[in-house]
Amino acid sequence: MTTSAQPSVVASVHGLRKSYGPADNQVVALDGVDLEIERGRFTAIMGPSGSGKSTLMHIMAGLDQATAGRVRLGDQDITDLDDGQLTILRRRRVGFVFQAFNLVPTLDVAANIRLPFELDARRPTGEEQSWIDVLVSTLGLASRLGHRPHELSGGQQQRVAIARALATRPELLFADEPTGNLDSRTGRSVLALLAAASTEYGQSIAMVTHDPIAASYADRIVFLADGRVVEDRPRSTAEQISALMLGMERAA
Amino acid sequence: MSRADLGPRAREHRASLLVATLSASFGVLLLMVTSVLSTFILADDVTGSSGTVVIMLILAAAVFVSLAVYVGAIVTANTFATIVAGRTRTIALLRLIGSTARSQRRAVAKEGVVVGLLGGGAGLLVGLLATFALVRIGVATGVLPELPYAIVEPAVLLPVVAVVLTTWLASWIGARRVLTVTPMQAIGGSQELSREEATARPARNAVAIGLFVVGVLLLLAGVGVGLVSPLGVLIGILGGIVSFSGLVLGAHLVMPPALRLVGRLFGTSATARLAAENAVRYPERSSRTTIGLVIGVTLVTMFAVAAANFQEFVLNAQAANPEVYEGTQAVVATTVGVFSALIGLSALIAAVGMVNNLSLSVLQRTRELGLLRALGFSAAQIRRMIVIEAAQLTIAAVVVGLVLGTFYGWAGAQSMLGAINGSPGLIFPVIPWAIVAVIVVLAALLTAAASVAPSRRATRIAPVAALAVD
Repeated sequence: MTTSAQPSVVASVHGLRKSYGPADNQVVALDGVDLEIERGRFTAIMGPSGSGKSTLMHIMAGLDQATAGRVRLGDQDITDLDDGQLTILRRRRVGFVFQAFNLVPTLDVAANIRLPFELDARRPTGEEQSWIDVLVSTLGLASRLGHRPHELSGGQQQRVAIARALATRPELLFADEPTGNLDSRTGRSVLALLAAASTEYGQSIAMVTHDPIAASYADRIVFLADGRVVEDRPRSTAEQISALMLGMERAA
Repeated sequence: MSRADLGPRAREHRASLLVATLSASFGVLLLMVTSVLSTFILADDVTGSSGTVVIMLILAAAVFVSLAVYVGAIVTANTFATIVAGRTRTIALLRLIGSTARSQRRAVAKEGVVVGLLGGGAGLLVGLLATFALVRIGVATGVLPELPYAIVEPAVLLPVVAVVLTTWLASWIGARRVLTVTPMQAIGGSQELSREEATARPARNAVAIGLFVVGVLLLLAGVGVGLVSPLGVLIGILGGIVSFSGLVLGAHLVMPPALRLVGRLFGTSATARLAAENAVRYPERSSRTTIGLVIGVTLVTMFAVAAANFQEFVLNAQAANPEVYEGTQAVVATTVGVFSALIGLSALIAAVGMVNNLSLSVLQRTRELGLLRALGFSAAQIRRMIVIEAAQLTIAAVVVGLVLGTFYGWAGAQSMLGAINGSPGLIFPVIPWAIVAVIVVLAALLTAAASVAPSRRATRIAPVAALAVD
């Protein structure tokens, strides 16, 4: 997808704070984060353990509540939505790919991919079904549709999870360390698939990772440390990203 | 031994503790009541035939206590197997740093001993206190005469010891799965709990099917012989015991198909399909969970159906010669009432097991429930899924129990009274709908009770739980 001069924003947070625990012993996970995720692009969110990158993703995806600040998805302010509204939002407007694959073990591959539609008590429309068919064949899952997750390899499970996440054409796809449980070759093919979804179909993706190689597949890399955004870079090589992280490490 | 020995695990063992306490107090109460009744009957001995009555009482008490202890043991073994499945990670970790599988299994069985001792002790106390209270009430209201009733009989130690031993044995059997845990499971990524595969056991299956077929043939033979002689009932009882043993042994062949069939009743929505799959996800576990309830429902139904058919025969016979059968109806009705209540306790124990099993399985599915929430399952959908799962287990157990109980009850009455004077020969089974209705209502209550706590806990699970890497 060719980017226009001013890409539109698919999700944003402003003045985002998140703290846990009692008032006298607070742990601050996010300490005033401002961030805009651009539509149709592949954004990586990086940072060391405890930097708040997972918390940021949870809040942007409607999985967790902010302590202060505003959260927007598309044109909507989602900060104050209740549980029921957030449920519908997760069902229709965002997709997830997890580190631990997280397929439903009792359902076969086809049923796992169809699950988001069934939660809405509907069948995929003809157009949606042909999109699912495209995904299934692109991801090489055609011969696996009747298998249960435990009969698949890690890479295959993650590809099913990607198909499930893309099936509803979500406004924003969240990926949490998607290669964390995969060997490096399988991991690279999964990253290439995500990058292709962004360039070929204009899918907006926000990926949380601490792996420089994974981040090198993204169009943009945002660095978090101690609950703040500390760097914001365009596409970089794994070496540049590693050097930057080492530099941050020394500065700390 | 103190409660502290169970430490933070006390919560996991609550159900086993309740089951052991129920079985032990039931045993103690029944024996003490028998003792009190014996004192009463012997004091009133005019005919000199009361000795026989006392022996009959003791025998009946023994049968009902054994039944309760047996069902309790099945429930406890199942609970322990479920607990071990939930601890796979921890056990694997201990194996990794050098603990042997045997010592791990012994540790679990030791928890079983503690549960048995605590439950047995509590049951002894509850049973004795309940008897004392009942006797005092009986004397105060003039139902019982003032006699030197025993406060405690040495025989009450028998059910208590039986409960301790069976709880221990059940925990040992339930802990068998410890042996299949490998140290690798401690380091393996984030694989779901290893599936409890329904292993092919041709020998066990053959024995189960053999027992069932032979038992049913014996039952039918009993019915046949019963047409000419009341001795048919002896063959029938043997057939009943043999076929039922086969059924309990082969529960893993019967219950999963029954569960699948019931699962279809709830439609094809995502919620219903997931619930249906969950109920048969661990076929062994579901079979053990439900078989206790099947035993309870079968026995209650059997007595009720036997009584109804008994009365049908007696009515026919009464039409032929009225004076002989005067008062029989009332005796039969009272006996059935008392027996149903006594067996009801076994069903209650089985129900405790089912409630607990569903709770534990929800507890062990935190990540998966979090995933469903993350994908857009609403809290209401999660709750519905768990209620359907509970309903499926209950309905499958109750339906199988009703069918079996009806057959056994009819066969029993037929083989005993088929040859009675004035009998029409074979009769069509008479079904006591009132009792069936009571069982169905209780089953509905059980479903509700079983799903309240787990569904509340499940809807509290934050979707973030799915994203956490252990």
